[in-house]
Amino acid sequence: MVALAFLFVGLVSSPAVAQRPDPALPELADRLAHMTAVTGYEQRMIDTLIGLLPGAMRDRAGNAVVVLGAGDRRRLVACPVSEPGFIVGRVREDGWLTLRRAPGRVSPLVERQIEGQRVTLFGRRGAVPGVVAVRSVHLTRGRGTAGGPFTVDSAYVDVGASSAAEVAAAGVGVLSPLALAKRPQRYGSDLLAAPVAGRRTACAALVLAARRAIAEQGMVPRGESVVVAFVIEQDLDGRGLGAIARTRGPFAQTVLVDGGPGSPGAVTRAPDSAAIRWPALGPVARWSLGARYPATAVETTSLAGADSLTTALTRWIGGAR
Amino acid sequence: MRGVLLCLAVTVIPRLLVGQAPPPAEVDSVLGTLVETHGVSGMEGPVREAVQRLLPGWARTTTDTAGNLWLTMGQGEPTVVFVAHLDEIGFTVKAIGDDGTLEAEAAGGFFPTLWEGQPALVHTGRGTVPGVFVPHDTAAPAPAPGTDPVVRVDVGTTERAGTEALGIGIGSTVTSPKRYVRLLGGRATGRSFDDRVGSTALVLAARHLDRARLRHTVIFIWSVREEIGLEGAAAAAAALGPRPARVHAIDTFVSADSPLERTNFGLAPLGRGPVARALDNSSVTPPAYVDSLAALARSRRIPLQVGATNGGNDGSAFGEWGVPDVPIGWPLRYSHSPAELIDLRDVAALARLVGAIAEGW
Repeated sequence: MVALAFLFVGLVSSPAVAQRPDPALPELADRLAHMTAVTGYEQRMIDTLIGLLPGAMRDRAGNAVVVLGAGDRRRLVACPVSEPGFIVGRVREDGWLTLRRAPGRVSPLVERQIEGQRVTLFGRRGAVPGVVAVRSVHLTRGRGTAGGPFTVDSAYVDVGASSAAEVAAAGVGVLSPLALAKRPQRYGSDLLAAPVAGRRTACAALVLAARRAIAEQGMVPRGESVVVAFVIEQDLDGRGLGAIARTRGPFAQTVLVDGGPGSPGAVTRAPDSAAIRWPALGPVARWSLGARYPATAVETTSLAGADSLTTALTRWIGGAR
Repeated sequence: MRGVLLCLAVTVIPRLLVGQAPPPAEVDSVLGTLVETHGVSGMEGPVREAVQRLLPGWARTTTDTAGNLWLTMGQGEPTVVFVAHLDEIGFTVKAIGDDGTLEAEAAGGFFPTLWEGQPALVHTGRGTVPGVFVPHDTAAPAPAPGTDPVVRVDVGTTERAGTEALGIGIGSTVTSPKRYVRLLGGRATGRSFDDRVGSTALVLAARHLDRARLRHTVIFIWSVREEIGLEGAAAAAAALGPRPARVHAIDTFVSADSPLERTNFGLAPLGRGPVARALDNSSVTPPAYVDSLAALARSRRIPLQVGATNGGNDGSAFGEWGVPDVPIGWPLRYSHSPAELIDLRDVAALARLVGAIAEGW
């Protein structure tokens, strides 16, 4: 079966397979930053990534995976796609929605940033815009303010509906994922600001590196193969990465590409503890693309820095140590 | 026969349309254009120009020295004035730091925390510069009670000279990107519905009213600097003195129509029509005028709610000249936030009510 899979990948990675010209990294990073992939609800993002990578497939866990080369010595490079967010917990009879945090870590900063902002709900009939209610400043004048800082437990989402039936007719209901409406902002000479901008830009860099490797047959050293994976539910105990370790390992080496706090665009490399949990990953190095204002709606990274990450990843896929 | 039909079509159909609610597509188009135009108090030029472009071809407007836009129709007394404001809340640049970031000061009353950690746009004489509102540093000392945290804007530079080279200076204004977005149930969200809805209502009324039916002078004023103290309206009031018989501020009715609000006053549900803003922090409408307005709305079958809310209105600036202020609003949720929310049926009804008052009161 594995051999068949390698044969399939070998076929699709041949130069005969047409591949559209590589998108430029800024445009690809911007495109991914516009998308939403709340933990557990990443499949639209995975669809997009599979569309960008000839030969990529969805595994049972929901990760996007493409295998380069056909050797027995396997290496893994993975980028997480999940992001913190929320799901609809209840639809009130009057049409307002209340929320539950999606599983995994959700920073208080992420919660605060949705108050009084436009959000997008992903219903069964597509995206539905809404807003998170906030007290009208005029009506607070001269009155005591209630409660402490905003948390999602006190959030009401307003999609304009006046009844639960209207909400249901739009395809929205309990479990519909929700996140801040994405509006990536390019500023300065080469900066990109967006929720999880570091992670999205790091994944864009990996997409481009993988596309180069797919287009350039023979980049992976003889006797080796490289599994490129875009993994789900990273913030839910790394479930997607764990599935790759258990079903595709053992690996001689793993690189986990992600965003992280730091100077925008700077790439830091450090050992990662995932190796302890999943020994099949082999030694794991985390390559973090630095981002300013991490875990906020304006997490900012440098696209020039991401260009150098693409180069480094391409070299790593090609066997450079 | 065809000629007769054509003549009937040209002369009768427009009259049939007079007094009708503007079609939803027209409301969308006018309101969307105005909402997506930026104009912090004192820098309303782009909004004023947008209003001028949206007015019908016959409209001859003037701009006074304060920056208010005037459209005068009809002739003779009494003079009735309608005022909607062009400006929106936002920030002005107070200082530029050595690290190139901007220190921004609020223009108008709102929760600055709703802007922190969001994209920013700095408006300069040379164009718009993108940036971000710097997220509040949770590790920093909390601001003193009763004071707002300092709001900073990062435009991607690392020193003051780099920021100044972008055309940014003290007094440049700062907003955040905004979009007019339709929601379910004929509702919409955006930022600066206060008071682009009022401005839209005046534009739509100008487009649809029958000038031949005006029995007196009607003045539409799109005012400036409302959010920082009704300054434009004060200039207009001084220019007109005691001449107006009435003034109608066309401005937000901040509604308690939300699960977060106390509903002991200010509850004007969305979708149930414009609201006679009979009492707020700046004016009290004489009860007889409220009754007259309600009677007019009833006679035209225009829904009207009556209520009390908080805030001030431009019409109150005419008070010191003895001019009765009969403000009219539309229900707004989440006032002065990036996520203001309205019902478009209220906007259409408001435009119709303005036209009805101009023609019939």
